[in-house]
Amino acid sequence: MAGEGFVAPHVDYAALAPLIALTVGLIVILMSGVFETTKRWAPGLAVLTLGATAGLLIWHWNEQIDLVAGALRIDDLAISISLIATVTAFFTVLLSVRERAAEEAGQGEYYALLIGSVLGMVLLAEAENLVTFFVALETLSIPLYILCATNLRRERSLESGLKYLIVGSLGSATLLYGMAFVYGATGSTDFAGIAHGIAAKGMLHDPLLLIGIALAAVGLAFKTSIAPFHQWTPDVYQGAPTPITSFMAVATKAAAFAVFVRFFVVALGPETGDWQTGLAILAAISIVVGNVGALRQTSLKRLLGYSGVAQAGYMLGGIVVASEKGISSLVFYLAAYLFMNLAAFAVIVARERETPYGDDIRGVRGLGAERPALAWSLTISMLALAGLPATAGFIGKLYLIEALVEGNYLWLAVFIAVGTMISLAYYLRVVAAMWMTPGQAVAGGPGGPEPTPVISGASPEVDPVDPRAGTRWYLVAPAVLAAAITVFFGVIPQPLVEFASHAGASLF
Amino acid sequence: MNISWYIVLSALLFTIGAIGILIRRSPMVILLCLELMLNAGNLALVAFSREVGNGQGQVFALVVMVVAACEVVVGLGLIVAIFRRKLPLDVDDLRELRG
Repeated sequence: MAGEGFVAPHVDYAALAPLIALTVGLIVILMSGVFETTKRWAPGLAVLTLGATAGLLIWHWNEQIDLVAGALRIDDLAISISLIATVTAFFTVLLSVRERAAEEAGQGEYYALLIGSVLGMVLLAEAENLVTFFVALETLSIPLYILCATNLRRERSLESGLKYLIVGSLGSATLLYGMAFVYGATGSTDFAGIAHGIAAKGMLHDPLLLIGIALAAVGLAFKTSIAPFHQWTPDVYQGAPTPITSFMAVATKAAAFAVFVRFFVVALGPETGDWQTGLAILAAISIVVGNVGALRQTSLKRLLGYSGVAQAGYMLGGIVVASEKGISSLVFYLAAYLFMNLAAFAVIVARERETPYGDDIRGVRGLGAERPALAWSLTISMLALAGLPATAGFIGKLYLIEALVEGNYLWLAVFIAVGTMISLAYYLRVVAAMWMTPGQAVAGGPGGPEPTPVISGASPEVDPVDPRAGTRWYLVAPAVLAAAITVFFGVIPQPLVEFASHAGASLF
Repeated sequence: MNISWYIVLSALLFTIGAIGILIRRSPMVILLCLELMLNAGNLALVAFSREVGNGQGQVFALVVMVVAACEVVVGLGLIVAIFRRKLPLDVDDLRELRG
């Protein structure tokens, strides 16, 4: 420790550029919120920041550079996951236009927190050291705790924020304790150093290391909402403002899975035999719990929360086999999941604003006759999540099952197939509600139903109804675009397969 | 140097924190228990750092302290927001979301 002087690591600013762009954007947006005149620019500045970040990320495509003395690593896995997070944030900005939560919290603060969370995600996807891993995970999570609670006047929003904070911090603390044991067993916080330590000391089945791996797996399972550590997911998804829910559902999952892959496949690679079975069992439990839990939900956001638990189980299958094909299929599935989920959330946001039912399934009744564009988007999204052919969801499941069969995990592939069958029951229920039940007049209109408050309590809790929300471009365009991309990659999957296989190849 | 007592103490702290989160109902006490769990991790890191003989664990522990402070700030902010709405400060009574 002592003796040698402090040597500053070489810093490659070009490769750090995406992170710098996000940080600068964050500060500018936060400052813009201070002045009355510049306040309205916040969403535009957020889009600008995200665009610049995406451009800088694409610039480094196909490169593999270790940054800041091996604390970060930019490679195709990091770039692809960062791009997924950036695109999700872009959609979230669109869905947040005229959102009550954004006005309540202040435009500048709301979008600055969103960009801060994206910064954490990019950092997490690049993390190659236990310290950066932990800091990035918290940079991602802490702004999300606040964003969940931004709808200050709604009890549910505050409740979901506090719940997410408690459960998220519990996950982080467990993860930290696991990391401490991994460090103690291998003597390094660096992923490459950990792998080297395990291989050099020949410490297979070392109890200290196994405790560390188990605790770290539990901590990551909390973050990726894998059963039995998923209980917070439906509650937080339902209570948070819907644009934030869509962001959490997709981007958090992608970033957490990226570091899950890197930590387990790179750092704990020599120990593969010890953790494979454990993760496979967690995946199987998630698939069963998620799909069965979703069956009896009447709130669309809760339904998507449980469906997210099941989908996390499918995706974990890609890590279980620890092969190039497994990782590629995981990245493919995450990219497909982005578009499938966002189409659904855009429709939910629109219906939340124009009907008095909130996110209840009653809100989409008769949508087929009333708003065909939204109805088709939600239909495509539901069919893709269920994994029907001609959608990206089908191709994604196909690759995952193929990777599992090749990796000798046939039984887990069977779980995915059975889970898919169960999931049809609740996805098709939404489709049936849209097309097969009679339409309803939009709230407030003549002959419409009495606007019943969704939550009992004081009137300021009820969000104002915008009877034309279903025709606003900033809600219809994301829904239609995401649904169109889902179908496009279902019919012509080649570009996305190429994208995902680059990500998978960068680790092996 | 034998560090096993430090590890035993950190395991105890971690368990006390985890049990506290599960059985206590006031969000304030739950935040305290979270701190206990994070500090158990810090103790383990510093102890292991001593055994391994490099400073990485100590640096990690310092970083964790910063992160823990951030978490508490957000947690207390949320508790104040809930208090201002005159909602009960009891996690068992916050049950608007379930099913």
